[in-house]
Amino acid sequence: MGPEDLEKVLRLLPPGEDREDILVGLDTHDDAAVFLLDEETALVHTLDFFTPIVDDPYGFGQIAAANSLSDIYAMGGVPISAMNIVCFPCSLGMDLLAEILRGGLDKVREAGAVLLGGHTVDDEEPKYGLAITGKVNPDRILTSTGAEPGDLLVLTKPLGTGILATGLKAEFISEMDMVEAVSGMAMLNAMASQAAVQAGAHACTDVTGFGLLGHLITMLPQQGLGCRIFASSLPVYPRTVEMAETGMIPAGAHKNRDFLEQRVSISPEVDDITVDLMHDPQTSGGLLIALPPLGFNVFADVMGDDSWARIGEFEDSSKPNISVMP
Amino acid sequence: MSELVDARGLACPVPVVKTRDALKTGAPDITVVVDNPTSRDNVYRFASSQGCQVQVEEERGDIFKVMISNPAATGEAAAPEAEPAGSAEKRTVVVLSEDIMGRGSEELGKILIKAFLNTLAENDPPPWRMVLFNRGVMLAIEGEDTVEPLVNLDKMGVEILVCGTCLDFFGLKDKVAVGTVSNMYDILTTMLMGTNSVSI
Repeated sequence: MGPEDLEKVLRLLPPGEDREDILVGLDTHDDAAVFLLDEETALVHTLDFFTPIVDDPYGFGQIAAANSLSDIYAMGGVPISAMNIVCFPCSLGMDLLAEILRGGLDKVREAGAVLLGGHTVDDEEPKYGLAITGKVNPDRILTSTGAEPGDLLVLTKPLGTGILATGLKAEFISEMDMVEAVSGMAMLNAMASQAAVQAGAHACTDVTGFGLLGHLITMLPQQGLGCRIFASSLPVYPRTVEMAETGMIPAGAHKNRDFLEQRVSISPEVDDITVDLMHDPQTSGGLLIALPPLGFNVFADVMGDDSWARIGEFEDSSKPNISVMP
Repeated sequence: MSELVDARGLACPVPVVKTRDALKTGAPDITVVVDNPTSRDNVYRFASSQGCQVQVEEERGDIFKVMISNPAATGEAAAPEAEPAGSAEKRTVVVLSEDIMGRGSEELGKILIKAFLNTLAENDPPPWRMVLFNRGVMLAIEGEDTVEPLVNLDKMGVEILVCGTCLDFFGLKDKVAVGTVSNMYDILTTMLMGTNSVSI
């Protein structure tokens, strides 16, 4: 569902309860909810599921699990247990479903968590995902807000999965043409999360359906803080630009753009393809992290050279807006 | 004959796929009707990327008519970037799947392919497009002595398509010196749209 529709629905519901043990709840745009158990432990809860983004069932299972686990990592937490959510047409055969679940299970184990159960529903179109429970020290929760002017913005995976998935659906490319994106989507954000915590990150979120800018805007809740993005520094999966030029922009990208129109100013030197890329809905995208400049070297040391990039910086701004430079 | 594609109510990428199918039938003029800006922009981009001339008309509310004229099908003088060099009647596609010419001596093969490309660059009229795949992509890699004649052909307006999957396979994606990195769809379309082909 697009961000505009979701806001409309949430406005119809009563606001979240005001309780001291709800550390992160309904009232903020965060990735997961955090519930305080005792002084040293808080539970992190999240749930996510979606339709297949690739044809390979094992790969789809891995990607869906990495995507669900990512919300725990975005809060600076560690996953402890997981439950499967499955919608599946029995006509497709149980072998296929077993492959999807095997992919999910392997990722849950890689994350050091345990799979405890799940629920299946007969449905026309397959959907898979997980509800994950994690834990975090209540003093060390990373939320999407908390960035300060002068902080550096880093992104830990390339962009382009929505555009590539559209190209795959149209059969303009095959899964062989997007191996980097498939393995990127299946990659856990575990190391990025650790790096963020060790570097003393001020804020963190993960990039998913609302696109890079749609998630970045949740990091700018207050007056006085803006963010500047350098378009040329954005990491992009191979073949994405070519697919965008051939008209493979998913509808979600347009919805994301319309929603943010008033809050994003884009230099005329930035081309249309890059603009679409910044609004492209991502599946299992990277973490978007606000780092104090002093923490940058620590972060870089933990991450190594792999596919992450410094893409912008937070700044003093009268309005909580994003500006995109070439 | 103008062909109508009604893509209202269809989600991306279906409108683009339907446009592609309509182009394949060889219709010279195609009007695609869509009901959202995403599809409008995508169909526009797709048709432009195929060398067509495209215009958009907003009907009312969210209904858009994307009008496409396909120069490859009409045989008229085409859009400059699409068919700059080849004559309208004859579209010669040169297919290079090897970095040598002929079997036998590899050393000789390398001399021959260079001579072939040099001669091709001097020939009038030049080919319409060139397609490089498998080891053929080596001809377009930095430092190869075949780059110069290819650059000359490129300057003359010959569109040179270099297979992206092949470049990835050989790990040479960032070493391409000439041509457009392309995909199997464009390569196949080029071969099908060509009126004659020369394969090495």
